[in-house]
Amino acid sequence: MEDVLDEIVSSEDLQKFEKVFHEQLHRGTVTHKAQFEYAWCLVRSKYPTDIRKGILLLKELFNSHPEGKRDYLFYLAIGNARIKEYNKALHYVKSFLEIEPANQQVLTLERQITKRMEKEGLIGIAHWALLMNALLGVHYLFAKKKQIKED
Amino acid sequence: MDYVTTLKILVIGESGVGKSSIILAFTTGDYNASFPATIGVDYKCKVMDVNGMKVKLGIWDTAGQERYRTLTSSFYRDAHGAILVYDVSEPRTLTKLNEWAEELQVYSTKKNIVCLVVGNKIDKQNRVVPREHGKAFAQKHRMLFIESSAKTQEGINLAFEELVQKIIETPGLWETGGSSSNIRITNDSERRQQEQSSCYDYTCTI
Ligand SMILES: Nc1nc2c(ncn2[C@@H]2O[C@H](COP(=O)(O)OP(=O)(O)OP(=O)(O)O)[C@@H](O)[C@H]2O)c(=O)[nH]1
Ligand SMILES: [Mg+2]
Repeated sequence: MEDVLDEIVSSEDLQKFEKVFHEQLHRGTVTHKAQFEYAWCLVRSKYPTDIRKGILLLKELFNSHPEGKRDYLFYLAIGNARIKEYNKALHYVKSFLEIEPANQQVLTLERQITKRMEKEGLIGIAHWALLMNALLGVHYLFAKKKQIKED
Repeated sequence: MDYVTTLKILVIGESGVGKSSIILAFTTGDYNASFPATIGVDYKCKVMDVNGMKVKLGIWDTAGQERYRTLTSSFYRDAHGAILVYDVSEPRTLTKLNEWAEELQVYSTKKNIVCLVVGNKIDKQNRVVPREHGKAFAQKHRMLFIESSAKTQEGINLAFEELVQKIIETPGLWETGGSSSNIRITNDSERRQQEQSSCYDYTCTI
């Protein structure tokens, strides 16, 4: 795993924690731990429907269990990035960095998300526009220079 | 860039003993006096020279916090080496290594995985765990032993050198070839790992 966004949960893990979660759900009380463990697997699934389910569970935890806030924010960012909701992902990264501005793990995640956006052309368009501007600018300068020489 | 093999190194132990700090010291030479607790699992890599061979280390930094206990064990699979860290100023963290060693036995998949016990924070004035205690623990579990300080860098490089040297000397533990040749069951994620060989952060430009 070179990139946390590529890391995929094993099906045994997903099944294991899904089972615990559903058993607790059936009994009527789900612990934060069980919900987080299941959500942690879901957001690392290769299926977007799982990831969305994981995001819902994490949001619920985020609102009900402030002690785990940083963990929930981190995996909310990962989940959203994995379904290409990059702006939402960056929003969670930003919320995290407001609490811990120098967290290397989160700064790395931020770079990975923006790198993906670039790769998928989302930032590319903006860069392209800048480049065109620069080229036009050079062209304009050359034209001007020529004019001066000709004068 | 080519290297002889890729080794998976796992770093485990109680929260706050300095796992992330050791990895930071090894990969960048930096130190952070208030390192935040790791979330889940973090990954760093570094290419190392061993007996004139280039070896790529993929270092998995696990969160020691209790709430991650059940989650991180799935990352033990296929590790070639494990570093078990305790804090020489907190005796409890050495006692707790018993549990980490058990976990390693249960979840690691390579039978002859090389383990190294590291007593960290030896720069501290209030060190209470004598070197002999750490060493006895390591001997009991047939593991290598070293003391270190992520703060002063003492023992840090040596720790990784000894571990990797031992892995390389262990027949059948590793295989030559690009990246994840050690992984036999290839699933989607692993295939992707093999294709993509850019390493994030620091030292590696591949
Ligand atoms: N004096 C001293 N402090 C250290 C040393 N290594 C780490 N620390 C400090 O101990 C604290 C915890 O270190 P971490 O590297 O975050 O510990 P960890 O084992 O990764 O903790 P988790 O991620 O929660 O499992 C940090 O504030 C470090 O600055 C050391 O060698 N000497
Ligand atoms: Mg850590």
